[in-house]
Amino acid sequence: MSKSVLQLPVIERAEAARQVVRLTLQAPEWARAARAGHFINLLVPGRRDLLWRRPFSVHRADRSRGTIDLLVARMGRGSESLAECAPGDHLDAIGLLGNCFPFDPGLHEIIMVAGGIGIAPFDLLLQDVQGFSCKKSLFYGARSAGDLCRSTLWAESGAEVHLTTEDGSTGSRGLVQDELRRYLGSSANHAGRVIYGCGPTPMLAALREMALALGIKGYVTVENRMACGFGACVGCAVELAEARRDGQKYLLACKDGPVFPIEEILFHD
Amino acid sequence: MTDLRVHIGSLVLDNPVLTASGTFGYGSEFADFFDLDRLGGIVTKTVTLEPRPGNPPPRICETPAGMLNSIGLPNVGVEQFKLEKWPFLSSLHTAVIVNVAGRSSQEFADVVAALEAVKGIAAYELNYSCPNVKEGGLSFSSDARVAAEVTARVRAVTRRPLITKLTPNVTSIGEIGRACADAGADALSAINTLVGMAVDIRTRKPRLSTVTGGLSGPAIRPVALARVYELVRRVSIPVIGIGGIATAEDALEFIIAGAAAVQIGTAGFVHPDAALRVVEGLEDFCRREGLANLAQLRGSLQL
Ligand SMILES: Cc1cc2nc3c(=O)[nH]c(=O)nc-3n(C[C@H](O)[C@H](O)[C@H](O)COP(=O)(O)OP(=O)(O)OC[C@H]3O[C@@H](n4cnc5c(N)ncnc54)[C@H](O)[C@@H]3O)c2cc1C
Ligand SMILES: Cc1cc2nc3c(=O)[nH]c(=O)nc-3n(C[C@H](O)[C@H](O)[C@H](O)COP(=O)(O)O)c2cc1C
Ligand code: FES
Repeated sequence: MSKSVLQLPVIERAEAARQVVRLTLQAPEWARAARAGHFINLLVPGRRDLLWRRPFSVHRADRSRGTIDLLVARMGRGSESLAECAPGDHLDAIGLLGNCFPFDPGLHEIIMVAGGIGIAPFDLLLQDVQGFSCKKSLFYGARSAGDLCRSTLWAESGAEVHLTTEDGSTGSRGLVQDELRRYLGSSANHAGRVIYGCGPTPMLAALREMALALGIKGYVTVENRMACGFGACVGCAVELAEARRDGQKYLLACKDGPVFPIEEILFHD
Repeated sequence: MTDLRVHIGSLVLDNPVLTASGTFGYGSEFADFFDLDRLGGIVTKTVTLEPRPGNPPPRICETPAGMLNSIGLPNVGVEQFKLEKWPFLSSLHTAVIVNVAGRSSQEFADVVAALEAVKGIAAYELNYSCPNVKEGGLSFSSDARVAAEVTARVRAVTRRPLITKLTPNVTSIGEIGRACADAGADALSAINTLVGMAVDIRTRKPRLSTVTGGLSGPAIRPVALARVYELVRRVSIPVIGIGGIATAEDALEFIIAGAAAVQIGTAGFVHPDAALRVVEGLEDFCRREGLANLAQLRGSLQL
């Protein structure tokens, strides 16, 4: 699908969790075309002091209504302003950008691992794989119960959900990667499993180590800073684990990603 | 209709709006957003003799009304450029200017020599911001003699229009520009990015892997304008203005100060069609002001 700049009407705004707002935007073409991993790059309205757009994953798509949802975590100046958008506002957006999580219908189990706002692409992934019989496991960690963005799709899609919180207020106390490690440790056969990860860098690094050690195929999305989001600035470099034969050492998060095979790239803070 | 054409040496551009090197890829990244043939021209990302991987991340950082970058000139090298990038560029009708760099004046000449057989290149732009290996990593702009030598070396291997792109990180851009003009440049373009730095106070690490980088965007526009004005007064060849230009109004400031043309860089990251909007804005302005051509405006600064 070709990229374009659209003015998207905000249809709904809801608090999805403490410090996270869900925005529903009218975008029929993107609702049809979006797959988990795709993102859009938003101009922050009323903030001409911020030069760059801010990238957000497509969280959910309602293909019959022609809407997409975003989860906006309040992280700083741009996301704070975006989280204050209200129905009636319009957002200037470039999309659809990036690639998506590959899915093989022959898989036995997809294991989604989300840390914090890294939950964003997984509603869309659950939508994408609805109708496939593979087991769907979601490992989702946040600081505290109030930080979890719960979704109706978890039940609808029959996903097995494993929650962790750092303070133990819901689910197991600790980090999501530790919960996953326990789960994977309980079986020796990992054939037909795939890990999909999205979250903070230390979590991704832990997933990489686990996936490589156990021989499980994995994909992760990265959240580099982006000046453009469509391959023009070459600023969002991701380091390849092994340089290519032609000397290439980096890939672009916005164009080659944001989803990468977990063994292919290295994570830096 | 106003005649927006401009002459850069023997090259005639349909309008004075070009895209800046390193901010427009090889054109294809923007093809979804607008008709590239509406531009006066495209300046490619810098091409070097050998492939370069570029700098480690983080390579970019947002700053007040601007950004820092230390991309490190990643590119596939001149031979792959011809095979991979040129076919798309040559399919365009707009002028394509190939930006080149080298680590020595000889390497600049070698890259250009390797491009001479390629049909359809409208001009070359020489990127002087690259470190000069022979002079201990100093920029080619740091000394008028070295700057002139590069232009002269390249002049000797091509008859195509030659644009020398100057960095502002020098004591006297006028002197460097003058030396390059005397050495055979058909035009000068200015400015490349300004050296800048930012620190993450939480981690106490520099925001860029290379510690310092190049500042671009609206923040540098007044600096760029002053440099361009300085050059216009020092040389008789055309000067192409670059630096923080995002709208037709911005471009008009440079043209009134004497620039023959302008380049749009960072603005295109935020509004992919920024360069097209500048073209349209210039057309509107000239129509409103009843101008028949841009020459009536160029250098019309009232002192
Ligand atoms: C492909 C992609 C998809 C994303 N999807 C979502 C999503 O669905 N929901 C969501 O809430 N966020 C998402 N993000 C992250 C979001 O874009 C950033 O949180 C946002 O740009 C921060 O902008 P700000 O103006 O609020 O922060 P700023 O005021 O610019 O910065 C606030 C703090 O955050 C740090 N920071 C800013 N951007 C980044 C970054 N990219 N990586 C690490 N640190 C950073 C700054 O250094 C600073 O300390 C995504 C990012 C990418 C690249
Ligand atoms: C991300 C980025 C990459 C750049 N790469 C190059 C390059 O490869 N060669 C070059 O001559 N200039 C390069 N430049 C400099 C621009 O061409 C231009 O001179 C500068 O950014 C000022 O213009 P602007 O403020 O409109 O961006 C780059 C600038 C940026 C922001
Ligand atoms: S953000 Fe500009 S190339 Fe990826």
